[in-house]
Amino acid sequence: MEFKDYYKILGVDPEASNKEVKTAYRKLARKYHPDVSEHKDAGNKFKEVAEAYEVLKNAETRAEYDEVRKYGAQGQSFQPPPGWESASAGGNHSASNEDFSEFFSSLFRNANQQPEFDDVAGRRGGFQDWGGSRAQRGQDIESDLPVFLEDTLNESTHSISFQIGETKKTLKVKVPAGTGNDERIRLKGQGAPGPGGTANGDLYLRVRLVPHPLFDVEGHNLIVVLPLAPWEAVLGTKVEVPTLSGNLRLTIPTNSQNGQRLRIKGKGLPTKQGEHGDLYAVINVVVPAANDAGEKTLWEKLGEESKFDPRAEWRKSK
Amino acid sequence: MSNTQSENLSLNEVCEITVISKDTIIKIVEHGIVEPAGREPESWQFDMPMLVATRRAVRLYRDLEIDWSGIAFAISLLDELEGLREENKSLLMRLSRYENNPGQS
Repeated sequence: MEFKDYYKILGVDPEASNKEVKTAYRKLARKYHPDVSEHKDAGNKFKEVAEAYEVLKNAETRAEYDEVRKYGAQGQSFQPPPGWESASAGGNHSASNEDFSEFFSSLFRNANQQPEFDDVAGRRGGFQDWGGSRAQRGQDIESDLPVFLEDTLNESTHSISFQIGETKKTLKVKVPAGTGNDERIRLKGQGAPGPGGTANGDLYLRVRLVPHPLFDVEGHNLIVVLPLAPWEAVLGTKVEVPTLSGNLRLTIPTNSQNGQRLRIKGKGLPTKQGEHGDLYAVINVVVPAANDAGEKTLWEKLGEESKFDPRAEWRKSK
Repeated sequence: MSNTQSENLSLNEVCEITVISKDTIIKIVEHGIVEPAGREPESWQFDMPMLVATRRAVRLYRDLEIDWSGIAFAISLLDELEGLREENKSLLMRLSRYENNPGQS
């Protein structure tokens, strides 16, 4: 098992005062707390920091750790000293510590460390750990559930897999039509099994709509950028426009402008109440390169004849 | 499959599900971190996002060692930050649709 240098983890000197340990922990907790941090390994980083603090904040456990540290800090592979037993051990294994490392449990197995108990259930544990002395049930688990836009049109079934300790669990989840980004689904009893036959924790899924190659989401409305040739925008035309449920023919009025939004009613995302948002096609006039001599001549002719002044606004403000 | 998504929960049910004490939840509501429907604690109704927000508030309180008004402040800033990040992400996505212009070869 790997030796954990709790001082190094918190970035403090082994001689650091209790106050310094606390300050270092608070700073790192703000940086790596999974509810705050964007860091991709935030959950594990925070767990490490929380474990280090759990041991170092308490004079008794810190003294015990310091003893072990003298003995084991040099080796690559760590074993607790022969006959080692934590003096602070006693009572039941704290549920809130069950996420800590093997190293921690080898030193403080059965440690009953629940100081500073306040009105909140349990002391710290790793992320997602909802344990604590009063929490006689399994851990709750939180996870993201990626959902394609197309899947929100009707009720869809998703297969999800996740890891609880050593076991891999696979579940089927129903996502109702009209489910939006960031919505939560609670699956009762699908979290970690409760210790000693107590109730299972719950599984919380957070719906994440997968970015679509064509459509952007604005509430229940969808936006698609519609590229048009300059003459299509000026003369008007009919074009095929993609929607989530197949193509539609859309009439482009004459003299359409860049950035103009054309509403296609009811082709957005569904709501839970069975209504639908709209699809907006945003006109994006694309200027072709005149590589061809014939095309170039046509542009030149237009340039000579047109009275259009694209910079009229500049002249007005002078 | 046992989705329990659109349920409304009473204070007692939230306590039971989250294993958070009633006093703590009342504090969270008093600080405006979660705003259940109903005027008195007995008539409060929590929806799923509120349940999730309550759990997050307690995690932060427990792990960051900040008092409740600090947590309320941090959460309002975090929510704003997340909203801005999402908005920024979607605006960048929209921008990229214009920058990869198919006609300008």
